[in-house]
Amino acid sequence: MHVVLLRLALALYFVGFAHAVLTALNKKQTLFRPALVAVTAGLVLHVLSIALRAMEVRYLPLTQQYEAFSFFGALAALGFLIAYAKYRIAPLSVFAFPLIFIMTFISNLFYDPSSSIPPVLRSNWIYIHTPLVFIGYAALFIAFAAAIMYLIQERALKSKHPVRFYNWLPSLELCDDLAYRALAIGFPLITLGIITGALWAQGAGFVWARDAKVVFSFLTWLVYLLLIFYRLTGWRGRKAAYLSIVGFIGVLVTFLGANYFGGLHTFNQ
Amino acid sequence: MQLALVGLSHKTAPVELRERLAFGEDALRSALTSLVGRQDVSEALILSTCNRVEVVAESADDRLIREFLCDFHKISHDVVSKHLYSFRNADAIRHVFRVAASLDSMMLGEPQILGQVKEAYRIAAAAGTVGMHLTALMNRAFAVAKKVRSETGISQSAVSVSYAAVELARKIFGELTGKTVMIIGASKMGELAAKHLKRNGVSSVLVTNRTFDRAVELAQVFEGAAVPFEHFIDHMDRADIVISSTGAPHFIISKTVAEQIIHRRKNKPMFFIDIAVPRDIDPTVNEIDNAFVYDIDDLQQVIDANLKERMKEATRAEQIIDSEVEAFCNRMQSREVVPTIIQLRDTLEKVRRDEIERNRRHLKQMSPEQQAAFDHITKSIVNKILHHPIEHLKQNAQDPNGPDLVDLFRKIFNIKSSR
Repeated sequence: MHVVLLRLALALYFVGFAHAVLTALNKKQTLFRPALVAVTAGLVLHVLSIALRAMEVRYLPLTQQYEAFSFFGALAALGFLIAYAKYRIAPLSVFAFPLIFIMTFISNLFYDPSSSIPPVLRSNWIYIHTPLVFIGYAALFIAFAAAIMYLIQERALKSKHPVRFYNWLPSLELCDDLAYRALAIGFPLITLGIITGALWAQGAGFVWARDAKVVFSFLTWLVYLLLIFYRLTGWRGRKAAYLSIVGFIGVLVTFLGANYFGGLHTFNQ
Repeated sequence: MQLALVGLSHKTAPVELRERLAFGEDALRSALTSLVGRQDVSEALILSTCNRVEVVAESADDRLIREFLCDFHKISHDVVSKHLYSFRNADAIRHVFRVAASLDSMMLGEPQILGQVKEAYRIAAAAGTVGMHLTALMNRAFAVAKKVRSETGISQSAVSVSYAAVELARKIFGELTGKTVMIIGASKMGELAAKHLKRNGVSSVLVTNRTFDRAVELAQVFEGAAVPFEHFIDHMDRADIVISSTGAPHFIISKTVAEQIIHRRKNKPMFFIDIAVPRDIDPTVNEIDNAFVYDIDDLQQVIDANLKERMKEATRAEQIIDSEVEAFCNRMQSREVVPTIIQLRDTLEKVRRDEIERNRRHLKQMSPEQQAAFDHITKSIVNKILHHPIEHLKQNAQDPNGPDLVDLFRKIFNIKSSR
């Protein structure tokens, strides 16, 4: 049942994906309302699917690769809807909807009905560590999308050749504000995520410093720390946007690469 | 419905002629009444602005209106005839829609014209010279204008320097509330730009000028503060937007100065609008992060791009208008009273005949005399039933609500359009 719901959610997310592609091609917002409705409905089904899976395995459904992608997709959708409700920035959808769709799509590709849970992951820490990291990632994704919108808009304004495509982009100040706030939410979350991860590893007696994902996420965390530091000293706008993008590339490498680096965070050992 | 429209506009007549044919508000009333007093003109409306004079009338003859225009303004027809245009029926409807939607305006898509058209309608309504036809036409024209504006980008982007400044400021700051603008130098254009910014939310205004008294004067207009010209730079970090229009022969804001100011502002963005010639602000200031400099040519470039965009949107607007004209013509035709009455009679007659046909078997037993009587009785039943509704329709069709009444009749008796 949960996989049927997941596929229905994917179908609904596709409307969002189509909206993003059409908007980029038409250089003007296309199908936003239907897409918003579809993605919201998709998220409801998606959450339901995750809940059903949780009841089935009687555990946090985050121990398999497909579950991780599915979880991330759902969080990205949730993050977008929260940011949209607060800021009414529709253009964010052009970045968020494809990500939501692709994450959920990958999740469907990797679908594996086995419900065996690696013993190493059997710990109560998973209820704290993983959600913290994932919600943090979702917030950092919003910061990343805001940074890209900032750069596009800034470039248009500096070049003095206004293009119609940018008319629907939010103002520079709003992009910058959104990027900062998302960072202010995401950074503490991944910090706590790293701390809880360290505690978990220590309790279980792992040498966590040799885990590739741990190393990468620590590097990523350093980038964000730098960004927070510069932000506090008065950086804003373009430079902050660049660093925010670098940070999120780190997040993607950490997240998507988890399986290939080997180590504790590999799925299906 | 027979519509005729006669007029002249900035496209067909020079201003000297437009002036001579224009109507003041008082003249408008007497003109409307005297026009509708003429034979064959049952309704009339006059739109008179600085760019156009148009007379729309429910009349079968546009020559009548041409004559009237010349008579009223005591001008010979030979002088004006080649500047006047006339449209009838569908073409007149299209013209009214295009004017209201600002497709015929000098500045394509400018929003004032709709207000002027509404005002013209209001005056005619007050003078009692519009009936159901012009009321239906004008209400549709208002709706079409609104539709064109919301569905196309024809009125969207800025096409004047001061609006372009506001539009760009919005792209940088979003909402302008809480922002501060500094005006350097006192020029008409700078003042206008500041006025638009203020109307769009800018909270405080700083003014500086070589002559301090002039700065104080201008500051009063904007309820702002005057700053001595000698140290305006010291106050500039408070300004989010700077409008400069001095007569200085060289740059008054260099890159170094701008860098310092941005630094003092902790990198909060700044928008410099340089409308001075020669320029006041070093263009390289634009290279500084979070500083945006637009000179008069840059603003003009934005305007040109926007105008091109409007032209493109205008083609889409024309399509909307085409389909609206067709829909309106169809509806008007179906709202005509006389055809409706005829169709109503036909419909019920058909019902009667169909019923007789269906029961022919039973009726065969009747003698020819009986059959004739039967035919006569059923006919008179139908006529009696229809008598009051038709009388009511005839009496009330000329009301402002007449078209709705006709519609209602068509609906309850299920009368399809004759087309």
